[in-house]
Amino acid sequence: MSSRPFFRSPGYLALIALVLAYVVQINLDAQRFYSSSTAKVEVSLNYFIEPQPPSPTNARLTSFGATEFMADWYWLKIIQYYGGGDPGGQYRKLAEMFHLVTELSPRFTAAYQTGLLILPGEGFVDEAIALGKKGQDRLPERWEMPYYTGLVYHISKKDYAAAAAEFERAATKQGAPAITKLFAAIYYKEANSRQTAYQLFKTIYETGETEFARERAAKYVEHLNIYFMLEDATRRFYSEIGRYPKNADELLSARYVESIPPSPLNQTFLIDPVTGTISETKTGSS
Amino acid sequence: MRDTVFAIARNTFKETIRDRILYSLLAFAVLAIAGSWLAGSVSLGQETRVIQNFGLTAMLVFLLVITIFIGTQLVYREVERKTIYMVLTKPVSRDAFYLGKFLGLALTLTVVTAVMGAAFLGLVALKTNTVSAIQVVAIGLMLFEAWLLTAVGMLFSSFTAPLSSAIYTFCLALIGHASTVLLAISEKSAPIVGSIIQFVYYVFPNLEKFNLRNEVVFGAPVDWVFVGWGAAYAVVYTGALLLFGIAIIRRHEF
Repeated sequence: MSSRPFFRSPGYLALIALVLAYVVQINLDAQRFYSSSTAKVEVSLNYFIEPQPPSPTNARLTSFGATEFMADWYWLKIIQYYGGGDPGGQYRKLAEMFHLVTELSPRFTAAYQTGLLILPGEGFVDEAIALGKKGQDRLPERWEMPYYTGLVYHISKKDYAAAAAEFERAATKQGAPAITKLFAAIYYKEANSRQTAYQLFKTIYETGETEFARERAAKYVEHLNIYFMLEDATRRFYSEIGRYPKNADELLSARYVESIPPSPLNQTFLIDPVTGTISETKTGSS
Repeated sequence: MRDTVFAIARNTFKETIRDRILYSLLAFAVLAIAGSWLAGSVSLGQETRVIQNFGLTAMLVFLLVITIFIGTQLVYREVERKTIYMVLTKPVSRDAFYLGKFLGLALTLTVVTAVMGAAFLGLVALKTNTVSAIQVVAIGLMLFEAWLLTAVGMLFSSFTAPLSSAIYTFCLALIGHASTVLLAISEKSAPIVGSIIQFVYYVFPNLEKFNLRNEVVFGAPVDWVFVGWGAAYAVVYTGALLLFGIAIIRRHEF
C-alpha cells in the first residue's frame, strides 16, 4: 500500500480547517467591533487570547440552571483577563464581561463594585455608570451602588451635581458611612448648588454620627454662611450704587458688611466686578 | 407484586452500586467538589460564593452523567444480555420489573447524592463553620431532578438504543432548564413562536422547579411552598413517565 503524503491525511487537514475556522472567527470578531471606518484596528496578542463572552441569554440557556455558577466562571475569567495584563493596553471585552456577570448574577455585589472601580480607568466610563445604575435597580438596599457610581461621576466625568445626587442617594441607605452625606454636600457645593449643600451640611452638623463628620460639616456651614453674607451684601451694593464691588474689601470699606471672618476652609472669597459672582480660591493660591 | 418490585430494586441497587464506572465517577465528583476550594482561592474574596456554586454545579453535572449513562442502559442491557427472558419467565410481571429497575437506580442515586452532598457540606462547613437549611434542601431537590431524569432515560431506553436514549435525555435536561428562559424571551417574539415555546414549557419536564442552587449563595430562607410544589411536580411527572414506560414495555416483543 503506497503511503500518502502526510499533508493529505485527514487529521492534518482537520487541523488546518480548525486553524482556518479560528482565523475566520477572529476576523469576524474584529469586524463586529471595529466596523466603523474611522476606527483603527490594532491587533495585539491579547485579542487572540481574550475571552469571548456569550450573550447573557445564551449563557443562561446553556447553563442548566446554574446561572450563579456561570457568573462565577466569568468572574474568574475577568480576574485572569485583567490580572494577566494586556499587551495592547486595551481590555476590549472588560465591560461586556462585567455586563454578562451581573446579568447572570443580578445580586453579585462585588462584581458591581469591582466593575465600577476598574471600568472607568480602562475607558469604559459610560459602561461603568450603566453598571452602577443597574446595581442600584437590582440591589436597592445597598449603599455601595450609588456611592461607587458617585465616585465615577466625580473622577471620570467631573460631573459634581450628578456625583452629589448619587452620594445623597447612598446616604439614605442603611449602613452607609456617615461621611457619605458629607460627600454629597461637598459635591453640591462644587456644583454650585450651595443652598442644597448648606442644608445637607447643616443636617450633618446636627445629626452626624461621627465627630469628624460633624466638625467638618460645621466648617462648611460657617464657610457658606460667610458666602451667603457676601452674596447678600453684593446684591445690596449693586442696587444702591449701580455697579458691583471691585472686591470683598470694598464691601467692608463701604460698610455693607461689618467684618469678613476668615473662611474655616482656608479659602479667600473673590467677587467678579462685572457679574458680581462670588467664587472661592485656596488662600495663597492667587 | 410489591415484594417482587422490592426484590428487583434490591438487585438493581446491588448491580449498579458495584459498577466500577460509578465509583470512578463518584471519585471524580468528590475531587471536583474539593477542587472548588482551589477556584475559590483565586476569586478575589469570593471564596464562600465560589465554593458553593462550583460545588453544587459539580454535583449536578456528575449526577446528570450518572443518571444518563446508567439510567439509559438499565433496561437495554437486560434485553441485550437476554437476562430479561430469565426474569420474565418467572412470576414477575413486566410492570414489576420496570418499577423495580427504577427504584433500584433511584436508591443508587440517593446514595451517590448523599456521598457527594456530605463532601460538599463538609467543605462548606470547613470554610464557614455552618451549614444552612437551603444548602441541604437544594441538594435534596437535585435528587428529585435525578429521579425524574432516570424515568426519562428509562422511558427512552425502552424503545431505543442507549446512545440515542442518552442524547435524548441530555437534550431534555437542557430544555428542561432552559424553558423558563425561553418562555421569558417568547414574550417578545411572534405569537406562533410564543405558542411553541409555551407548549415546550408545559409539556417537557420543567427542571427549574428543582433549582434552588442559585439561592444558596445568598443564604436565602427556604421557600417551603416552592419546595413542596417541586416535590409534588417530581412525583406526578415521574409517575407519568413510569406509566408511559410500563405501557411501552408491556407491548414490547422480546
